[in-house]
Amino acid sequence: MFLEVQHIIKSFGAEKVVKDLSFSLKAKQTLSILGKSGCGKTTMLKTIGGLLSPDSGKILLDGEDITETRPEKRNIVYLYQEDLLFPHLNAYENIAFGLRLKKIPEGLIKEKVGHMLHSLELEGQAEKMPNQLSGGQRQRVSFGRAISTNPSLLLLDEPFGSLDTGTRQRMQELFKKLTAEYDITSLFVTHDLKEAVLMGDQIGFMQNGLLTVYSDKKDFIQDPQTGVQNEIEFWGGLR
Amino acid sequence: MRVNWKPFVLSLAVLLILFPFVYLVFLSLASEWRFPEVWPSYLGLKNWVTVFGSETGLLRSFFSSLLISLSVAVFSTASGFMISKAVFYHPKKRTLTLLAYFPYILAPVVFAACLSFFFLKMGLFGNMTGVVVAQFIIAFPYALLFFSSFWNEKVKSYEDLVATLGGNKWQTYTKVVLPLAKGLLMICFFQTFLISWFEYGLTSIIGIGKVQTLTIKVFMFIKEANYYYGALSCCLLIFPPVVLLYFNKRYVFKKLV
Repeated sequence: MFLEVQHIIKSFGAEKVVKDLSFSLKAKQTLSILGKSGCGKTTMLKTIGGLLSPDSGKILLDGEDITETRPEKRNIVYLYQEDLLFPHLNAYENIAFGLRLKKIPEGLIKEKVGHMLHSLELEGQAEKMPNQLSGGQRQRVSFGRAISTNPSLLLLDEPFGSLDTGTRQRMQELFKKLTAEYDITSLFVTHDLKEAVLMGDQIGFMQNGLLTVYSDKKDFIQDPQTGVQNEIEFWGGLR
Repeated sequence: MRVNWKPFVLSLAVLLILFPFVYLVFLSLASEWRFPEVWPSYLGLKNWVTVFGSETGLLRSFFSSLLISLSVAVFSTASGFMISKAVFYHPKKRTLTLLAYFPYILAPVVFAACLSFFFLKMGLFGNMTGVVVAQFIIAFPYALLFFSSFWNEKVKSYEDLVATLGGNKWQTYTKVVLPLAKGLLMICFFQTFLISWFEYGLTSIIGIGKVQTLTIKVFMFIKEANYYYGALSCCLLIFPPVVLLYFNKRYVFKKLV
């Protein structure tokens, strides 16, 4: 397995936010995790990304124990719900940001960012500052910035949560295209049931700090906890 | 036809604002202007030539003030910025912020009297280092409180994002945090410079007359009833803040708006 998370526990004071978290993920796959606000999704992602230290447990990435590794050395990029574009840099420089941190030669940066702008359908927007871009464009630049560094693992924390329905749908399609094009392994956290089903090769459900990963989508649909049955009943009742 | 009073009122307001400054320059050029004469008997550059000939030590005071204020502004802005971050992430953030108001509870002269014993013990009485330290004690809490509004969850998220993109602490500061805070840093530098530049109470007690900043000189001339030198030193006193204000307006406020 490419990513192995073993018995991770994380508490804040007396409150145990993540309880015995264990799962694994194959390379180039997306695990979508469904969960309500406050169930521990963000804490789980931040712990895997190295932004929070676990109280106990182990994280293995491509066979290497990264539990104690600093976030800048993990090659795991964490994407927030907010696009967090750097306001003092234009779209091109935002995408090139991670590459410049790694001191990649200028020619290669130009080539990579140019290719990324094309993949993100952002040609002609390179010189625009973040405040001149729409919500969807900003989120695409944010994706580009994360993917251009070729991360081993991408952690997405409700990345489309702030977008309108139409833009959200287009971004979901774009994300599927990019994951295939750039061979991305990712954890995709969402509280949207449909998005969880659409985005993941595997699906997990998180509740009260406990994660259940389903071996196939049918099990997820059958589990009454996930709320899929309620949705089916609701939409069926409208016929 | 209705008369539009707006341009007249505006012109009057501008005149009223500019009058004290123009009058200061005029007074600095005058000498021997006695009642009931409506015009000074001498109007020329005599006072300025004397000053630049350093007879009264005004020019030296100007450079001393500049050195003290620049030191105070640089140290308090830099340390205020860094320490305000530590305060923001500290569990006792509220208590620490409250403590920062302490130097402002007391009048500067009383505060200086309280500090004087320690300054005397440390050999900081009556020298420039002592004045810089004393003014820093006033300017630093200001910078600390000023930057407390900069640090928030969003800046923390930016820092975390840079870390996951592979950036170390130095890169996080130079490439993201400092560019984000650039405008605020310049404003804080300007404000702390002004706090130090116009400081009188602390400087007069800790400096014990040996450190003569321009503000101290102005008060001295006024006490001596030497209005012409007083006006001249006021002109010198106003010059650096005006230059700083110009740079702030040109390079900072335009970007902030």
